[in-house]
Amino acid sequence: MTDLGNLSEVELDVLKELGNIGTGHAATSLSKLLNKDVYLSVPKVKVGEIKNLSSEFIGEIVAGVIIALQDLEEKKSGYLYIMFPEKSARKIAGDLFGMEELDEEMYASTIMEVGNILSSSFCDASADFMDIILLPSPPSFAEDVPTAVIDSVVSQMAKNSNHIILFETSLSSDSDIEIYLALLPETRLLDDMMKIMGQL
Amino acid sequence: MSGDILFVSNESGKAIFLTSRNVLVKSFCSLSNTCSSQDSCRTCEIVDAAKSYLTGKKPDLNVRSLDGELSAGIGEYKIGKNVLLKVMGLGSCIGVILSDVSTGICGMAHVLLPGASNSGESKYAETAIEKMFEDMIKMGARRNRITAKFAGGAQVFKHMSLDILKIGDRNAISVEEALVKRNIPILAKDVGGEVGRNVIFNPVDGSMIVKYTKGEVLWL
Repeated sequence: MTDLGNLSEVELDVLKELGNIGTGHAATSLSKLLNKDVYLSVPKVKVGEIKNLSSEFIGEIVAGVIIALQDLEEKKSGYLYIMFPEKSARKIAGDLFGMEELDEEMYASTIMEVGNILSSSFCDASADFMDIILLPSPPSFAEDVPTAVIDSVVSQMAKNSNHIILFETSLSSDSDIEIYLALLPETRLLDDMMKIMGQL
Repeated sequence: MSGDILFVSNESGKAIFLTSRNVLVKSFCSLSNTCSSQDSCRTCEIVDAAKSYLTGKKPDLNVRSLDGELSAGIGEYKIGKNVLLKVMGLGSCIGVILSDVSTGICGMAHVLLPGASNSGESKYAETAIEKMFEDMIKMGARRNRITAKFAGGAQVFKHMSLDILKIGDRNAISVEEALVKRNIPILAKDVGGEVGRNVIFNPVDGSMIVKYTKGEVLWL
């Protein structure tokens, strides 16, 4: 099994490419959905110790959507974590509905749906371009600081490793919309990726 | 650390002030839920005392200064003497405080998982409590004087499709069991709920300060 604390350059590059293709497609979907230009930041891959995780995220309250990714054998491949800073989340929901005030249930469900669309296009892209099948779970939704939202996922991953790989990028549009996207792969996804790379 | 950390109290309330270059930058005040000025403290007896302490004047109230602060990352624990202890951004995780008020030695763990570890990793509840307890004894704390407080274990998800996200309750139960097993008295706890927490421990009076990520502050 791949050791997360000790990845090679090549493994990190492959992971970065997977994330790149995935978020590229997610950005296109978002752009269609909002009917706006969407910009993509240069993504970063970090291998960090779990204890330092809190410094990786923004400090404000976010609407967080978590989607588990599975392969065809229903084994966990990792998690997609989409963070919408509160202001951006309200703006997106408001724009989609064409009104300022939304009740909380509609708001949560809209943001989950946006998370759903982003994760589905992420998974489509990874299947199309890299032959890596990722099936997204239905979204889970919470509003809190980013570490409080993600720590239950981190605790799952911490059972196997003290390290965590974080693929991070952000999507932005004019009119103050910002979305942060992180991919937290399980070792299984890295193993699958390397197998496919080996066949090329 | 760049500035003094002050603890000020009067009959009605108490507050911790973090300062930088002799200016108050952040406060955790037991009155903040009812105070009209909320987080942006303007003026009151407590704030005035802290300000006069910083400018070298003799304050009207008793002001105690702490020897810095320590923050435990996810799955870590930190111990110290007369220091402010912090864990930030707890969702399903738990902040566990052990302290011996008689010697001022205290510790805080950021527990990530329930149960014990085979290889002594402090991200597990039982292991973290055991190791932190022994380390505090080595530092000079007295075994039968150590008491515990803990907070965390929230379930922040409003809509959830994954069962694994329900780990908060299991963490809280595991922490409590580990403390009971070692006969460490539990003086206060604040677990569960739907909102994330920051937990801070003030060793001067032994209070656990729980600051919810949505604003509310509790002194326990």
